[in-house]
Amino acid sequence: MENEKEILLEVKNLKIEFGSKKNKFVAVDDVSFNIYKGETFGLVGESGSGKTTIGRSIIRINQVSDGQIIYNGEKISGKISKSLDKEITKKIQMIFQDPMASLNERAKVDYIVSEGLYNINNYKSEEERKAIVEKALLEVGLLPEFASRFPHEFSGGQRQRIGIARALVMKPEFIIADEPISALDVSIRAQVLNLLSSLQKSNYLTYLFIAHDLSVVRFIADRIGVIYKGKIVELAEAEALFINPIHPYTKALLSAIPQPDPRKEKNKKIEVYDSSCHSYDEDKPKFVEIEEDHFILANDEEINQYKESGNMIAIDSSQAV
Amino acid sequence: MSIGGKKIDKLGDNISDSLFEFAQFDNKEAEKIGYTNYSYWKSTWNSFTKNKVAFLLLILVIVLLAFTMIQPFLPGQKSPTEIYINAGTNLQDKNVVPSSKFWFGTNSIGQDLWARIWSGTRTSLLIGFAVGIFEAIVGIFIGALWGYVRKLDVIITQIYNVVDNIPTTIILILMTYVLRPSISTMIFALCLTGWLQMARFVRNQIIIIRDREYNLASRCLGTPTRRIIFKNLLPYLISVIMLRIALAIPIAIGSEVFLTYIGLGLPISIPSLGNLVNEGRILMMTPSLRYQLIFPSVVISIITIAFYVIGNTFADAADPKNHV
Amino acid sequence: MSYCEAKDNKEVILSVKDIKVNFKLRGQVLNAIRGISLDLYKGESLAIVGESGSGKSVFTKTFMGLLESNGYIDGGSIIYKGKDLSKFKFEKDWHGIRGKEIAMVSQDPMTSLNPLKIVGKQVQEGIELHRNLKGAEAKKLAIKLLEDVGISDPEKRYYQYPHEFSGGMRQRVVIAIAIGCNPEILICDEPTTALDVTMQAQILDLLKNIQKEYNLTIIYITHDLGVVAKVADRVGVMYAGDIVEIGLSEEIFYNAKHPYTWALLSSLPQLGIKGEELYSINGTPVNLFKEIKGDAFAPRNPRALKIDFELAPPYFEVSTTHKAKTWLLDPRAPKVEYPKALKKLFDEWEG
Repeated sequence: MENEKEILLEVKNLKIEFGSKKNKFVAVDDVSFNIYKGETFGLVGESGSGKTTIGRSIIRINQVSDGQIIYNGEKISGKISKSLDKEITKKIQMIFQDPMASLNERAKVDYIVSEGLYNINNYKSEEERKAIVEKALLEVGLLPEFASRFPHEFSGGQRQRIGIARALVMKPEFIIADEPISALDVSIRAQVLNLLSSLQKSNYLTYLFIAHDLSVVRFIADRIGVIYKGKIVELAEAEALFINPIHPYTKALLSAIPQPDPRKEKNKKIEVYDSSCHSYDEDKPKFVEIEEDHFILANDEEINQYKESGNMIAIDSSQAV
Repeated sequence: MSIGGKKIDKLGDNISDSLFEFAQFDNKEAEKIGYTNYSYWKSTWNSFTKNKVAFLLLILVIVLLAFTMIQPFLPGQKSPTEIYINAGTNLQDKNVVPSSKFWFGTNSIGQDLWARIWSGTRTSLLIGFAVGIFEAIVGIFIGALWGYVRKLDVIITQIYNVVDNIPTTIILILMTYVLRPSISTMIFALCLTGWLQMARFVRNQIIIIRDREYNLASRCLGTPTRRIIFKNLLPYLISVIMLRIALAIPIAIGSEVFLTYIGLGLPISIPSLGNLVNEGRILMMTPSLRYQLIFPSVVISIITIAFYVIGNTFADAADPKNHV
Repeated sequence: MSYCEAKDNKEVILSVKDIKVNFKLRGQVLNAIRGISLDLYKGESLAIVGESGSGKSVFTKTFMGLLESNGYIDGGSIIYKGKDLSKFKFEKDWHGIRGKEIAMVSQDPMTSLNPLKIVGKQVQEGIELHRNLKGAEAKKLAIKLLEDVGISDPEKRYYQYPHEFSGGMRQRVVIAIAIGCNPEILICDEPTTALDVTMQAQILDLLKNIQKEYNLTIIYITHDLGVVAKVADRVGVMYAGDIVEIGLSEEIFYNAKHPYTWALLSSLPQLGIKGEELYSINGTPVNLFKEIKGDAFAPRNPRALKIDFELAPPYFEVSTTHKAKTWLLDPRAPKVEYPKALKKLFDEWEG
């Protein structure tokens, strides 16, 4: 919790709308958060919550309707210069969810991994390019001979690793992982998670990890933001979120995590979140820091409730540590 | 070894204890998977040849094509335009039924029908292939841009709507009226209207696949539009594009026949299947002279059916989902 | 009724003996199921856990004759109420079984429903086919079923189309259709994989209630061990077309014996320690085109014995209800400690 942490990405009051003027659908509504250099930031929500939209808008696939995205001090949302665009292509990369759909079936692995290289022309000769591809494949735990094969000859986990290799050859600083393990088998998920962790250390990467599975995010993320219907409802350090969830949606999400423990699971009572438990007509909600490094979307009335019900670990006691 | 019952114990007795030691664990071995040596075109061909009818028709078409090419160079062939005079009567050898001298007989002015049929097939196939290939190139090019580049979508859609609403027949008639009837005019007129449908079709297919994750990934990597179209999108559309090309050929030939029927086809001096059918149609009511209609009709039918079947079978074979 | 009670009653409702299923693929033969024997007891909840390529879906498809056209049963038997289902050759043989006796709820609620028909009619279809009710009576039952699965306002929603329902609601409709046929056995193939985690728990609770009310026997096919923990009495772990370990739910979670089961449990992030690597299984699932010599899991098993590569292990009994196919349980095998990550779970076994 040092204050000297460098901010790599700032998202400020981001708003993304789809559809025409008459049929507007607000996918992301006034979302703000920061990502520090070297950390893994987890963005958790259910389908339709807008988390994928946020990821895609950072990498400039989706248009931003309002607000700003600032990377390393420079604005990267909206219209930007060609040179900045090229730089972003190198520095920010993405890993996609579905290993079956994210690779070009008709191209060899060699082309798929070096596709980015052809674009940024970061190599001097054919031999160098081949060497870069070989190194990338080894880095993700695949054999170099796989370069001459087609994607459909590989399993889901291997395909996902090809996707990671593809992102790595660009030598990025920041990787947006959009549900990278949701479509994989249970035992393969562990492989890919371990790989992402080790790559983070060896390549000094920063991750935005988008997921719907809180148990995975707890394991891999440093800080977590919970998103519900386009709004971030709670943001905190990973352990703090699990030990002390404040927002009712976070609590419902936590109680729904399946535990691999039959005695506990069979007797568990799940909490259900009903958004009508808030009354936001008069008292509008704000995104406030209710404890150190623990943010929550609530109106004044609710903030008082939370403080009174003793949910808080008092800020003073943390300083005693 | 064992006889039912206590099988487990019996097995146990015959195994040496040394086998119960830990084996060497090789990480790399675990990574190797069954290499299936799959080749897309090989599988397409295998799938295609499974359909015996299509395969036979393909051979038939190839033989037909080859024959139309080499026919003039075979010995004993007659000229398609020369009017033959009967040595005995010194009159034109009109309407001779198929015989040993004239294998397909002659037409109403004494020309050898056998030579005319092959010459006409050559001409019609030339028109058909030229139009088909042009349609393919222009149609795919415009269709791909139309489907992929969002900014062009609106403009091209408007152009398409306008051009599509002009009846093809009117354009064809106008073209042949304005320019002198010839093979190039025919090709030009058919090309002018043919590319529209291909473009629309390609555009629809591209819209379906343009936002799939692998294309998004290419965009994230900065791949330029040109390469995305050629390496990501078009390879997926091979099967459907080949189908359309295969169908374009009989359609072009059919249009040529139609135009000839309404009098705007090729001049009579150039034999074509359209001309031949037209000439034969006039004599349809006379039973002994029906051969003049039957022969060209059979050739057109064979070509049309063959291309339809081959095109459809190839489209099915080229779809990777059918490569079982 | 729990498994123990069911087993004591000893009413076997489905008996599978040494079933083998092959597929003809690209000119080669794929051994998808390599000789599985299993007894299903009336009233229990059996979960079959496995990853892609393990054959779990294929296994249950044989009970309903839903194998793809290039698949065939290459031996063994499936005895249900005196009939051998594996010997059925024609579609009409299956008419009395599918739906009426054995029904299925599949993974994707989006594609399981007909988008052009109102939901009520889809539920009613099954009722009219299998229950000898027609018209107004069938409709009344359909509405009751919609209510039973937790759809509010069933009289009104009877007339709605699938696209007017959310994912979780659609899955409820699919369940209503399945039980409308009044089956004995319900096969749920990854019933909650496509749903959000909050909806998942609700659907599983629904299935448990339905099971009690309608006296069903349920087979769950899933790769999610959390789902298994919630609903299953008995768990079978599948790998490479074979059941490598089977036992009561508590036995599998708190006292697993097969290295693959250990690996599956250890690789769960819920059991991971932050900052350390998660335990993961190296490599990829085995190639089923080739004849497998020995234990299929051996190449990926860091605790493999030499004999694992020579001879396939038989079942070793851990208890009357728990058995596993691993040479590690042979008395001559060296003692192997279970992975550290599972300590939390295995401590529960003492309790």
